[in-house]
Amino acid sequence: MNLYPTDDLPLSGIRALELSEIWAGPYCGCLLSDMGAEVIKIESIQRIARGPINPPPDGMYPERDPGERPWDRQANFNSTNRNKKGLTLDLKTNLGAEAFKDLVKVSDIVFCNYARTVMEGFNLGYEEVKKINPDIIYMLMPGYGNTGPYKDYRSMGMAIDAITGHSYLRGYPDMDHTNNSLVHHPDAAAAVNATLALSTALVHRELTGEGQFIDMSQAESFMTHMGEMFVEYQISGAPRERRGNRHPAYAPQGAYKCEGEDNWIAISVTNDDQWFSFCEVIGKSLKKDPRFSTVANRLKNHDDLDAIITAWTVARDKYTVMYKLQNKGIPAGAVLNCGPDTYADPHLNDREFFQIVEHPEAGIFPMSGPVLRFESTHGIAIHNPSPTLGQHNNYILEEILGYSKEKINLMEEKEVIGIIPLPGADLGGSRRASEEQARQSNAKFNNDENV
Amino acid sequence: MPYKALDQFIVLDLSNRLSGSFCAKTLGLYGCEVIKVEPVTGDLTRKWSSDPNSSGSGDSPLFHHINAGKKSVTLDLNSPEGRDILDILIQKSNILIETFQPGEMESWGFPYKSISRTNPGLIMTSVTPYGQTGPHKEFDYTELTVFAMSGAMHREGLPDRYPIRYGAEVAQYYSGNLAAAATVSALLRLLRKGKGDWLDISIQECMAGHPHQIGRRAPFIYSGELDLREQPRLSSSGTREPYAVGTFQCKDGYMSFLPLGARMWPNIARMIGREDLLSNPLFDDADKRTSNRLELEAIFQSWLNDRTRQEIFEAVQEAGVPGSPILRSDEVMQNKQFLERNYFTLVDHPQQGPIKLTGDPFRLSAVDEKPLKPAPLLGEHTDQVLKKMVGLDDNQLTSLREREIV
Repeated sequence: MNLYPTDDLPLSGIRALELSEIWAGPYCGCLLSDMGAEVIKIESIQRIARGPINPPPDGMYPERDPGERPWDRQANFNSTNRNKKGLTLDLKTNLGAEAFKDLVKVSDIVFCNYARTVMEGFNLGYEEVKKINPDIIYMLMPGYGNTGPYKDYRSMGMAIDAITGHSYLRGYPDMDHTNNSLVHHPDAAAAVNATLALSTALVHRELTGEGQFIDMSQAESFMTHMGEMFVEYQISGAPRERRGNRHPAYAPQGAYKCEGEDNWIAISVTNDDQWFSFCEVIGKSLKKDPRFSTVANRLKNHDDLDAIITAWTVARDKYTVMYKLQNKGIPAGAVLNCGPDTYADPHLNDREFFQIVEHPEAGIFPMSGPVLRFESTHGIAIHNPSPTLGQHNNYILEEILGYSKEKINLMEEKEVIGIIPLPGADLGGSRRASEEQARQSNAKFNNDENV
Repeated sequence: MPYKALDQFIVLDLSNRLSGSFCAKTLGLYGCEVIKVEPVTGDLTRKWSSDPNSSGSGDSPLFHHINAGKKSVTLDLNSPEGRDILDILIQKSNILIETFQPGEMESWGFPYKSISRTNPGLIMTSVTPYGQTGPHKEFDYTELTVFAMSGAMHREGLPDRYPIRYGAEVAQYYSGNLAAAATVSALLRLLRKGKGDWLDISIQECMAGHPHQIGRRAPFIYSGELDLREQPRLSSSGTREPYAVGTFQCKDGYMSFLPLGARMWPNIARMIGREDLLSNPLFDDADKRTSNRLELEAIFQSWLNDRTRQEIFEAVQEAGVPGSPILRSDEVMQNKQFLERNYFTLVDHPQQGPIKLTGDPFRLSAVDEKPLKPAPLLGEHTDQVLKKMVGLDDNQLTSLREREIV
């Protein structure tokens, strides 16, 4: 669906090699490709991060049907790899490493969200790659950065969430942390910072001709999203505690139950003017109630106020309440669910946020985005579906690298490239994978949990 | 002279909300000269207190954080002279960041269409809760209400309780960060093609397009099933070891675990000194470990009870099990990894004194690090900037000051 010339996007003409999986690296690749870069995702048939080869019955596939090639139909993978080109390469082999180096010669960026030493292990670390292309921009983004005592610590979004102080702030203030959520935002924060890092290095190179190495710590990048918390501690001497949905200076604020099952409205009253307007809507007598006369009083009697508000919202439609309050200038938002509510949101639809794509294996479905809207491209992003495993092997090896048919056949024969994962390639994520293999694979990690 | 990646670009920061302000601050970390234009009475976030114990004097912690390194110029945009000065500042800038309601820039006489005629290379970045178009574009918002509208909140929390937001102002920071990435990418196009651009960043869309939200909607688009709030400790997607998923209490706090896949089982058994369990027929495959979860969880918990977060953190690294201590903000600041990397950066604020701020989100090897400066005092750089960029002299500045235009 190319609605405008794709050579006029901000990153048109940039080629990036992505070595990453799960969320942080892949979403960075999405954003780069949304902005016009040609992102080549390098995977291998020796090791896939596309779910199990023989999935359990409850797997997340279109219509819950994994099909003949589940790795090409897996929802998570197909959600976070849009617009990319797919190449498989066994980097442990000479042929594979050679093809990678040939690609480096014609690329601008290499980025990797595996553990710090993985690329070095293939003898494809920055020092090596720089010899082939001195202008290359090369980024490693392990959880805690490329130096320091934690540099080789495995990490995932959950670990970053915990160690940066974010997990401490999450959950219901009247419960302990054992109910903390398993949805972890730091991956996404890292993806965005990685995108910023690479574009900054591209600008630097455009001005100076210099490539460089980028050391990104996923933890450090996420902590910039909580900076005031650290300042607050230094000024007040008291570390911040959990607040749930409440706010220290806005009251009332919270999620209130509405008509129907699991329907809620989020409301924030941020000043006295809004409070008076709010009283006009839900009951004028509140205005005179001394318990709620000032922000301080409303904060003190928040529980009482919540009960009064809930009594009003509980029999009302969340959207009706939202429009009623917004019409009076009071911040309110329906708590949209992850299904019909979001897809039916009139605003997102008016902005054509969802675009229909057709994936060769997964079928037709709406894809989300664009989040980065440029006037020059009429605010619309290209949306091609995520690649199937090795989908662009021929295009990349033949058209970009000019390899002969014979050479490509040889690579196929030697299993350097392919489109079907080898047995055991899914060991990283499969519950059904042979436990015996798991034991043999050693207690130490495969250096692949850096996501 | 040290050269920073974005050294030659001037950012005019008109934003008065967190997301745009953070976007501008981040660009400043990599060399942009960021000029923050504030009303004569000061940006609202100077007083926006996130600290219940704040006395109301001095600038807020939030202001310190999201304005570090900027220059402050005061300007009354309600006066024609103030707007004339703004016009010149816009013409001499490379990037303009604003967070006004859609149409507000236009109402002051600065629609993008006319700005781009006088300064065709300008990149204007608008960061608003719902974007420049659409039926909700004028909705007012806070972190909570826009987070609710992204789909992220409905899924967060326990099934029998109200939906809850994440722990920080993540939607606003995240979208401000995305805006910065898009702005710098637009700079590349400017350098290559000489063309400016206008970016329309919607906080709702940034969060709705968040990779995890896309993932949460997958069950619906692929098979019509709605993903709902669930008990985290009971959730098992089939790829985890269910008895060790989620957050657990230990001797001095809490630890989070997310062991993915059956191959974690031997690691965990060895870590807790119970290799004997590996051959126990109650636990020798993933399905059995799921059915006998409570028994295993009790064994795991008793191991945790005797150990501190530090001891457990060392053990998980040794064993190869994904686990991490939940740290409080003061503990984060003392963490040896962040200390070793000199992450927190000391600045000396003229009123606040020395404070440590979060450092750069990433480190560029070809670029010298510029010492971070504290957030500016109100109007601290008015004279300096208006002399240099607008060519005003002392008399003109005095006159403007008397009429409270600066």
